[in-house]
Amino acid sequence: MTERNLPGISFTEALEQRLDQANWSRREFLARVAAFGAATALSQLLIACGQGGASPTAPPATPAATTTAVATPTAAPTPVPTPEKELFVYNWDGYIGEKTVEQFHDKYGITVKYDLFPDEATQITTLKKDGKGGGYDVSYPASTWMPDFTQNGIVRQLDHSLIPNLKNLSAAWQNPGYDPNNQYSVPNYWWTTGFAWDPRKINKDLTSWDALWDSAYDNHMSMLDDMRECFGAAAFRLHLSPNTKDTGELDQILTMLEQQKPLLRLYTQDDISDLTSGTVWLTHAWSGDWVQMTYDKPKTKYVIPAEGAVKGNDVMVVLSGAPHPIAAHLWIDFNLDADVSAANTNYIGYMGPNDAALPKIEGYIKDDPRLNPPPEVLAELIELEYLPQPDLDQYTNRWTALRA
Amino acid sequence: MTASATPADQPGVSALGNTRGPIADRVAAGIFLLPGVVWLVVLFLLPLGIMAVISLGAVDPGGHVTLTSPSLDNYGQAFRPEYLPAFIRSLYYAGAATVLSLAIGYPVAYWISRHGGRRKILLLILVMLPFWTSWLIRTYAWMIILRDNGIVNSLLVDTGVIDDPIPILNTDFAVILGMTYGFLPYAILPLFVSIDRLDESLVQAGRDLYASGRGAFLHVTLPLTMPGIVAAALLTFIPALGDFVTPDLLGGTDTTTIAKLIQVIFTSGRDWPYGSALGFLLMAVTIAGTLLALRSLRREVIG
Amino acid sequence: MTSRPSRWLTAFTLAVYVVLFAPIVVLIVFSFNQSRRNFVWLGFTTDWYGKLAGNQQILDALWVTMQVAIVAVVGSTILGSLLGLGLARIRFRGSGAVQTLLLLPMITPEVVMGISLLVFFTQLFSLNGSIGQIMLAHITFCISYVAITVRARAASLDPRLEEAARDLGASAFGAFRHVTLPLLAPAIAAGAMLAFALSFDDLIVTSFNAGVGSTTLPIQIYSSIKFGVTPQINAISTIIVAVVSVALLVAWRLGAFRSAARAVIADPDAA
Repeated sequence: MTERNLPGISFTEALEQRLDQANWSRREFLARVAAFGAATALSQLLIACGQGGASPTAPPATPAATTTAVATPTAAPTPVPTPEKELFVYNWDGYIGEKTVEQFHDKYGITVKYDLFPDEATQITTLKKDGKGGGYDVSYPASTWMPDFTQNGIVRQLDHSLIPNLKNLSAAWQNPGYDPNNQYSVPNYWWTTGFAWDPRKINKDLTSWDALWDSAYDNHMSMLDDMRECFGAAAFRLHLSPNTKDTGELDQILTMLEQQKPLLRLYTQDDISDLTSGTVWLTHAWSGDWVQMTYDKPKTKYVIPAEGAVKGNDVMVVLSGAPHPIAAHLWIDFNLDADVSAANTNYIGYMGPNDAALPKIEGYIKDDPRLNPPPEVLAELIELEYLPQPDLDQYTNRWTALRA
Repeated sequence: MTASATPADQPGVSALGNTRGPIADRVAAGIFLLPGVVWLVVLFLLPLGIMAVISLGAVDPGGHVTLTSPSLDNYGQAFRPEYLPAFIRSLYYAGAATVLSLAIGYPVAYWISRHGGRRKILLLILVMLPFWTSWLIRTYAWMIILRDNGIVNSLLVDTGVIDDPIPILNTDFAVILGMTYGFLPYAILPLFVSIDRLDESLVQAGRDLYASGRGAFLHVTLPLTMPGIVAAALLTFIPALGDFVTPDLLGGTDTTTIAKLIQVIFTSGRDWPYGSALGFLLMAVTIAGTLLALRSLRREVIG
Repeated sequence: MTSRPSRWLTAFTLAVYVVLFAPIVVLIVFSFNQSRRNFVWLGFTTDWYGKLAGNQQILDALWVTMQVAIVAVVGSTILGSLLGLGLARIRFRGSGAVQTLLLLPMITPEVVMGISLLVFFTQLFSLNGSIGQIMLAHITFCISYVAITVRARAASLDPRLEEAARDLGASAFGAFRHVTLPLLAPAIAAGAMLAFALSFDDLIVTSFNAGVGSTTLPIQIYSSIKFGVTPQINAISTIIVAVVSVALLVAWRLGAFRSAARAVIADPDAA
């Protein structure tokens, strides 16, 4: 079996790093490698037989010993490796352009298995269950997970030589705080969390979080069934940070939410349906969801409240246990292509950080300051940071007390 | 009443009705009980045991479950008084859904058994048919029926019965309706199985004895079908306690159940140890309550 | 013969059937709705059925779900029926413990059971989720329902019937096969139907045991909730209902139910 070595640190160095991360004893590791190696070797043998003796497209290494590659600044020309035949993607539903998978298949001949998950908790649990991504190649976690993922070895370092389209990213996104130099991730879409309303029921120009506490809309409002987002909304109203760890401030936030609860109709899993069906007049909502609402109710309005709001983005990552890492890199590169990225954005309504795609993005998205806020607005918006235990417990305890 | 004779009451008659003796009995016990029990022990108790161990641990800042200092802290914490409303609500919903399922299911099962004739099985399968579609869509369908501009309200407003739509969705009523609907077949099937077994001549005798259909029902039919009623109650109440999705979709802000809180703790809270502890507490309370209820019914229940 | 049905009872039963099928009718109707989201009626169209035919993802998910359901039903019905009958018939010291064991899976919150199996399979066997793993999980939570249903019926069966058969010359297995089993058949069938419904619709335990390429229909559907329960999903449910209905009709015409009903009606005890 030919071992594909990506440029970068030596195999043994990578191995030691990986062992450290996994906390395995060397013996345990060797045992697992032996077992997996046997299986891999066998499967490679079968593939080789199938291809009539041509050298098999070997995955670079067994999952237990991922050779990590550092992005080489100068391109000593690396031969473009032959991609694998399949790709396992794990993503939200409808979070990609209608024809993207098809076009990818047409271009590279790679069959994409596109699995969905119903919520973030399921996604993260699946990706973490074996510590390597649960068997998938690519997934789309929120950027807040990056520190956790890189620390725990869930994601694989990216080989930038395989992702030339990285240059399409706008300057601001080339070096995000959660992942310097995009070593492990590529930003995907970003959003804001404000609120949306039906102007036929509320004939006003709402601009403040106060609207969601207004008794005039009693029993006609909903908040997202999301702990961090709800705490965020209340925090902004109180001019506090949505990432606060101060228990005194958290108590204030809880009181504010308790005042709101009797006015709400529900904490919703599906803000889009609740507004378009008329169940509520006004709802806490993500910006992309608002675009979805306008498909059925074109006049629906959305605002990024004046006190501040959450902004977030998710990223594309290659999981450390990816069975098809080359195909995974190609997928990321493909989605960074100007045309593909624009098609994605136009279909789902979320803006991406792709400068090259800008000319091709529909006006109603890129010219709308609610979906594509100018830099000075963006700078004011706050990202939800990862909260480790026991800080998270402070939130959870209050959230469960509120909901009970 | 012939049905109350248990094997143990008749010396010399072992489980399979033959008089082979204790060794055949042990083999019989092995064949019948061992496969299921072994399966449950390996694939249920063992994993559950792992969760029990996890419940003694905590989560470190790196996001991992650590067992460096195992303790019962999580269990102590789980007794928060703030959770009491959710707990009582869970009992209320599950209880209401069970009572309603039994009350609605019994007559239906009775009708199918007594008057279904050749079509009995077909009618039973028809009861189950709606439940071979996706639960989520059925619930969404209920939302279409119950929402403010939904079918029910539109009907009421159009016919002039009311002026403004009544909020039915997102209330306790909608939740109990949804849960009862969801568990009805779990009640009807075991009820049918028991009612169908009923000897009509006994009911007839009862009618003669008590000089009324009602008397016959209360004193003959009901006690004889008690095993079915108990089974139906078990198959409804217990899963209903764990159903948090129906209250989630059909309910409002004040319909949160304890099962939902457990879910939240596992997901948003990323706290498997604490969530497991709360889960085990819920299980302990439920099991204790169920066994107590079953024991008090043992006099009337066979076996 | 049985007495004439009371009018109220018949009306009541009919009403219950109507309510049982009301959401089904709604979802069938809305499968022809022009709106992408399920809520507002915008006009008639059969587009969604066309889209469904091309939607390999949903069809794959349906196939996975069917396979799982069939295996789950067969496995849990066999294990559960044996357990139910054994519990009802055999007097032994651990029967209380076994009964409690049966109740536990039903009481366990689904997220606890799902994660317990995830940890179990991942840590102890390094398995990453698969259709086989889902099948194992489903059998596990279905056994109790079958066992309790069968037990209720078995508890009211007279063991002397089998004894009589043996006295007449039947072997132990023969007596079991020709006397006990037919009498239990309705309960076993009922348990199997419950198991099927449980397996077909399961989301939480399944989502923790699924792996690459083993997405089930509930996972697929629940994952689509973010963009609305599109009418494609109504379409697939309509097709399922239609297929099962047709199958039932055919089976009925072929007299399948008459022989089953005969076994149920001709109860040897109701002499």
